[in-house]
Amino acid sequence: MNTKTIGLAVLAAALTSSVLAQEAGTNSQFITIPREQYLLLKKLADEYPKLAEEMKEMKAFKAQAEVTLKKVAPQQAETDQALDELDKKITDVKKLAKDSAPGTNKFLLTGYGSAGFTAQNRGGDKKFAATFNPIFLWKLSDRLLFEGELEAELEGADTHLALEIAQMSYVLNDYMTFGAGKFLNPANYFVERQHMAWVNKLPDKPLAVYDGLLPESNLGMQLRGALPAGSMKFGYAVYVANAPMLMIDPATVAPSDFGKLEFNNFDNSDHHVAFGGRIGFQPFPELEVGYGMQYADVTPRGVGVNAIHALLQSLDFSYVRDSAVLCGTINLKGQWVWSKVSDFVYDPTSLAGGPYTFSNKREGGYVQLAYRPSRLDNPILKNLEGVVRADMLNQAKTAAGVDERRLTFGLNYWLTPSSVCKVAYALDRQRGSNADPHDTLMIQFATGF
Amino acid sequence: MKPNFIPILGGAAVMIVAAALLLAAGCSTLKSGTSAPAAGPKAGASASGAQLWAQNCGHCHNIRSPGMYSDAQWEVIMLHMRIRGNLTATEHKEILAFLRSAH
Repeated sequence: MNTKTIGLAVLAAALTSSVLAQEAGTNSQFITIPREQYLLLKKLADEYPKLAEEMKEMKAFKAQAEVTLKKVAPQQAETDQALDELDKKITDVKKLAKDSAPGTNKFLLTGYGSAGFTAQNRGGDKKFAATFNPIFLWKLSDRLLFEGELEAELEGADTHLALEIAQMSYVLNDYMTFGAGKFLNPANYFVERQHMAWVNKLPDKPLAVYDGLLPESNLGMQLRGALPAGSMKFGYAVYVANAPMLMIDPATVAPSDFGKLEFNNFDNSDHHVAFGGRIGFQPFPELEVGYGMQYADVTPRGVGVNAIHALLQSLDFSYVRDSAVLCGTINLKGQWVWSKVSDFVYDPTSLAGGPYTFSNKREGGYVQLAYRPSRLDNPILKNLEGVVRADMLNQAKTAAGVDERRLTFGLNYWLTPSSVCKVAYALDRQRGSNADPHDTLMIQFATGF
Repeated sequence: MKPNFIPILGGAAVMIVAAALLLAAGCSTLKSGTSAPAAGPKAGASASGAQLWAQNCGHCHNIRSPGMYSDAQWEVIMLHMRIRGNLTATEHKEILAFLRSAH
């Protein structure tokens, strides 16, 4: 054996031992797995090159997209800004269109209407009726307002149209407003605040205060406003207007109307001026009490007599409270009116059976209580409202020759806050030479709009 | 036939008694501090527009939803009611602000 042979043998032995040692080490990390897992791992291993290739392609795509976005971004910002501006313009146009729509910009058409049925016993009236009172409001500036109201009524075969209000008002300052034209009588609380069909809680209106002893409206000028006084508030109104006309003409006036005042004296035929006003006091928000008056010379022209004066006075109160204890709202109102006209000799030439002389003092008023259980959950009961009113007019000692007492019970159902169905029954008792007692059933639908 | 005023006067008396009881009940809620939409701060004191709206409008008629009219319409109505209802300038301003914010 030579040296070369020995070297090869040693090398072979070393390699053999090395391989054996390596196999021994490797064999210690072998694990046994189920065939299914082996196949799954093999499958994943086979798919790896493909997935790696796809990832490479995606990275290339992403890089390309980023380059593209960098180019597009400024354009997108411009587009967003343009859309914002367009949206703002559309909003402005919508607001302009909304504010410019008829009835929404300075001018407003509002008002109220009613339809009803009245049936009296003892041969009295049985009839349907309907009224329509459109109210036109123009706000000419923050201080200047014009208001007009018409009243359309069916009377006999005709439709009667009357100008209820036509007044221009100017707010002088925080505490005073000037008004001129035909305006509701501020001395008459019921007329100014309660007479509207959807506000008045009964189908008819109380004696004395409406179509009675106080004017419903005045044609003249007024100053009015409100004065806060600590925790209280005063409201006031003073006015000058056409004076009423004393009804004396036996050719045109029924004897029972002698001595009454014609308040719709638009021509001011006797050339007199009336002045009056009202002051209201609110010691707390739920209560208001007020005193109103009007004084006028009503001496008829061309009649050689001493001056005839008319003094009209009114005392009113209103209490409205929403009470949790009562589960609803109580509404208590009242007004009492006095009318005093100087003595006068009516029909001195006996054209109508005169002469008539009497003490021309009249008085009357009402008190009304309403309750609505508005806090109940029941949707029917919460809209029901019970009303009871007592009203009277004393003028038996005048040419009218009758005292009248009424007690009226009513039940209302509110369809909406300004739409109501009213049913009422009135007991009317009268005494005097012209008495005509009767009971009346009234049904009325009224709405404000 | 002689007119009989007794039922009328009797009814009026019953109504007045009922009113007195209701007033007393109303006052009791004041004492208990129960809040109510129509109740609130004193007339001249600072009150929210919503309270002033409920107090002043509800004193004469049912209050209407703020959503019934647009802002422009409420401006006209509130100027009208400021004059008719003898509202103070502050009441007018705060009620109008409330109506604008409520729809």
